[in-house]
Order: sequence, then C-alpha cells, then structure tokens
Amino acid sequence: MSDILKTTFCGVKFKNPVITASGTFGYGLEYVKHIDISRLGGISVKGISLTEVPGNPMPRIMETTSGMLNAIGLQNVGVERFLKEKLPALRKHDTKIIVNFWGKTLEEYVKVAEILDDADVDMLEMNISCPNIKEGGIAFGTDPEMTYKVTNEVKKVLKNKPLMVKLSPNVTNIRVFAKACEDAGADAISAINTLLGMAINIHTRKPYISNVTGGLSGPAIKPVAVRMVHETFSSVKIPIMGIGGITNWQDVVEFALVGAGAVQVGTANFVDPQIPINIIDDLENHLKVNNIASFSELVGKADFSK
Amino acid sequence: MVGKIVRNQKLNDKYYLLEIKCEEFVREAKVGQFIMINTRHQDYTNDPLLRRPLGVANIEGDKFSLVYMIVGKGTRLLSECQKDTEISFSAPLGSTFTLLRKKRTALLAGGIGIAPVYWLAKTLKEAGCVVDLYYGGRTMDDVVLLEELKETTDHLVVTTDDGSAGIKGLVTDPFGENVNSYDQIYACGPKGMLRAVSEIAMGADVPVEVSLDERMACGLGACLGCIIYVKEGDETLQKRCCVEGPVFDGSKVVWDTVCK
Repeated sequence: MSDILKTTFCGVKFKNPVITASGTFGYGLEYVKHIDISRLGGISVKGISLTEVPGNPMPRIMETTSGMLNAIGLQNVGVERFLKEKLPALRKHDTKIIVNFWGKTLEEYVKVAEILDDADVDMLEMNISCPNIKEGGIAFGTDPEMTYKVTNEVKKVLKNKPLMVKLSPNVTNIRVFAKACEDAGADAISAINTLLGMAINIHTRKPYISNVTGGLSGPAIKPVAVRMVHETFSSVKIPIMGIGGITNWQDVVEFALVGAGAVQVGTANFVDPQIPINIIDDLENHLKVNNIASFSELVGKADFSK
Repeated sequence: MVGKIVRNQKLNDKYYLLEIKCEEFVREAKVGQFIMINTRHQDYTNDPLLRRPLGVANIEGDKFSLVYMIVGKGTRLLSECQKDTEISFSAPLGSTFTLLRKKRTALLAGGIGIAPVYWLAKTLKEAGCVVDLYYGGRTMDDVVLLEELKETTDHLVVTTDDGSAGIKGLVTDPFGENVNSYDQIYACGPKGMLRAVSEIAMGADVPVEVSLDERMACGLGACLGCIIYVKEGDETLQKRCCVEGPVFDGSKVVWDTVCK
C-alpha cells in the first residue's frame, strides 16, 4: 500500500481518510470476522455514555427507499466497560480509534470526556445530534448557545485528545452551529448525523418504529449531507469529516471536493462490510490514475464558478 | 461470500426455492444459521439497500438452498434472479440448534418458518432421532415441499387455518396433545406461534428451542436493531437476534416484549 492516501486530520495521522461511522460499526470487534479492520483509516465507535444505556424498545429499525430509519436509542456498555472490555482488543488492530461520546447532561458530557482524555484512544467525537433520545444529544445540537456551552466546557477539561463535534442536520442553518463549535475551541467538525424521519405501516396504521420517529441514513441523505458539508466548509476553518450516505469512492471524492478532509462510511457497513475496504482500494486507484498526489489535494476543490 | 445460482424455482405464487452453489459456505455452515443475501442483482441501484436475512433450508454437496416468501421489493427482485447469476451474501450467521442423537423430537414450522426446520429435520433424522414435524400455514399455499418433508420425518402433520390442506386449525393443537412424548422441541414461525409452542413445552417440562426472526440491518451484531429480551436468572438481558440468536431457548425469551 502506498502513502498516497495518508491523511492528517487535526493532528492525527490516518493511513487513509476512510473511517467507519459511529453506530454502524459497533465497537469494531463485531467486524473482525468479516474484514481486516486494520485496513481502515479509523473507527468511530458506538456512542459511549457515562453509564450503560439499554436503548429504545423494539422495533428500532426500518428500511426506506435507498436508506433506513433507526431509533436504537444510543444503547451502549458505558465508558467503564468500554475501556475495560472493548478497547484493549480493538487496540490490537492498527487503526485509529475515535470515541464517539454523549451525555444526558452537560456534567455527563464533561465527565465522559475527562475519562476518555486519559484513555488510549486517538480522538474524541462529541455527539450532540442523536435524534432518538429524550435527554441530551439533540438538545445540545439544535441550540447554538448550548452547542457553544457544551463544546467549551468539554474543551476545558481536555488536555490530550483532539475534539471533533458531530453536528445535526435537523437545523435551519448549520453554519451557525459550526461557528459555535469553532468559537468554543472545537478541533474539528463531523457532519452530518441522521435526518429525523418517520414511516407508517399502512395496513396496521402504526409507526414502523416504536420511538415513532427515527434517524434517516443511507444514500437517500447524501445530497443533503454534501450541501451541509459545503456550508460548514465555507463558514469555519477547522477541518470537517464528511458523513452521509457514502457507499463508493465517487461519493468520497464528492465530499472531499466540498471540503471534507476525511470521511465516515456509515450505513454502507450494514449493507456489505466489504464496502469501506473497496472504497479505500478504489480511491487509491483513482488518485493514481489521475496523477493526484494525495487525497488532501481534493479537499475544497469544487468549482462554483458560473 | 459469493455463490452461483443453480436454480430459483417457483413453488407457488408466494414461495420460492433458491439453490446456490458455494463450497465455502457449505464447509462452514451449521444447522440453524442464516445468511444476509443481497437481493439486488445489479450493482447500480441502492434500492433495496439492505440485505435480507434468510434461513438455510438444506445443504447438499457443494450447494445450499433457501426457501423464501415474496414479501416486498427485495424478495420480489430475488425471485427474478436467473440461473448462473452470481449472488453475494454475508454468511454463515448466528447461533445453531442443539443437535441430539437418538432422541424423540418434535419440530414445528409455521409458514416460511419451514426453511431452517427442513434442514434440522434432515440432520436429526441422520442422527437417529425420531422426527415428528407439525407444519402449519394459513392456506394450502403456505405449506410447501411436502413430498421432501415426508422423506425426512417420521410423522408429518399438516394444518391450515382454512382447512385447505391437512387438518383445519392451529399447528399447536395436534402438537399439544402429544407434547409429553418428546425429549426436545424445536420451532420456527410467527412469534405468536413460537410463544404458544414455548408455553406448551414449558408446561410439559420439555426443552424448547425457537428460531426467531427480526428486522435486521447488518446481521453482524453491529446495528443493534434486532434485540430479543431474554431472562437469565432474575435479570432480563438484551440479546442480538443475529449473533446470540436466531436460535433461543424458548423458555427464556421474554415473550411480552417479542410479541407486540
């Protein structure tokens, strides 16, 4: 493998810019049987909270046209069990580990961040955009003042790890939120989380998901994500990790052109665990064939001239 | 994994039998496991997006077969796949049935639940078990492969809701009368039926294994979309239908959470 895909993203040196997205890759270990996870640029693990969370009642998922709805409810083992039971095994694989985390309250965000700052992980991704839980998450991600506050408070306690904030698309103007993160000292932004959606079974007349609403992901949301990464890129200077419906190398290039310095592959991991590996191989080939020296050369190079 | 379609045979308006050649799968798969199959035979579309979980119905030589029912877009597309088409899938996935030797077993299948039960019946028969199969459906179209099933069972009891095939009524009725004559019960079918079978088996103190079906995104244990609640001692635990299941101890499943 050549160095052509090597990507430095807020100081972290990734072997390639393809990272698997939180909530779609478990704790990484679930995929070891199916692919060589050390091929990945990085893994953003399932959102971790201070204590174990059981998640929402079933049913939790439903497929929709070129996408899916989910309302898992941030089920996770909690930070203590993550560090003890999951991280050591994951660390054995040569890939960067991003820990996605969240809290029900401001204090919980700060506490989890503090614990993770001393852990053997590479980067933190703060989730202020989960649409599927009542407390925390989205409450911080849809009010710019709260976004500033939680980012600022978390940033204060971090001494070692870069902080990336994952933004919600369920806002009128994502620029305001991106700016709030940057002003509060965030090192990077990841965008976007899922779009709030809903589906009804016309025979039973009941929602397909017990939570009634769920987060829409998959190829269906890609144009929205591309637009929002573009808007974010044009309003902040910190790097952006692009997320939303990526299933192939062409999608990755598109996200790079609008300003994504790296990308996350999400729902595609469910479709076929081989997809992120194929993307890495195909992306490398694309750069070579077109004499593009590195992935970073593509970042923000979309041409908007008329 | 990738396999080649040997046949994709229409059994009736609802049901198909799909036979796939794949040595790797045949080598690794164990009875009760399932696959997540890509129903799109062209790569240029993202719809349907997710693979479909299907139970494995049989293995013969380097081929395995699936029985599937046309439910929506994915299974309809699958039914259009021609012989020699290459088809991809994640497999083998999930837990397996407990295999016994020389025991008296009752197998229950409801509708499409016949898929894993077919292979199980064959395997138990080869292991010297007495295999009685109780197979129920709504109408005669929902009970398929009866000739093949006769060969792999000692007694085959067919029931339909409308009486168009076999005995009119629920599959649990004839089974319930004989439950005490078995060492082990196995079942796959609609959740309501599995609950009823489990309750009958528990009442007679006979161990029961059920194969459950849930909506799944990945089938690999990552999405947490297919949770089954299981009692262990005083605790209620969350199990993933795709990894810790699809086969569960029917006496431990928290049926109120599964049948909603």
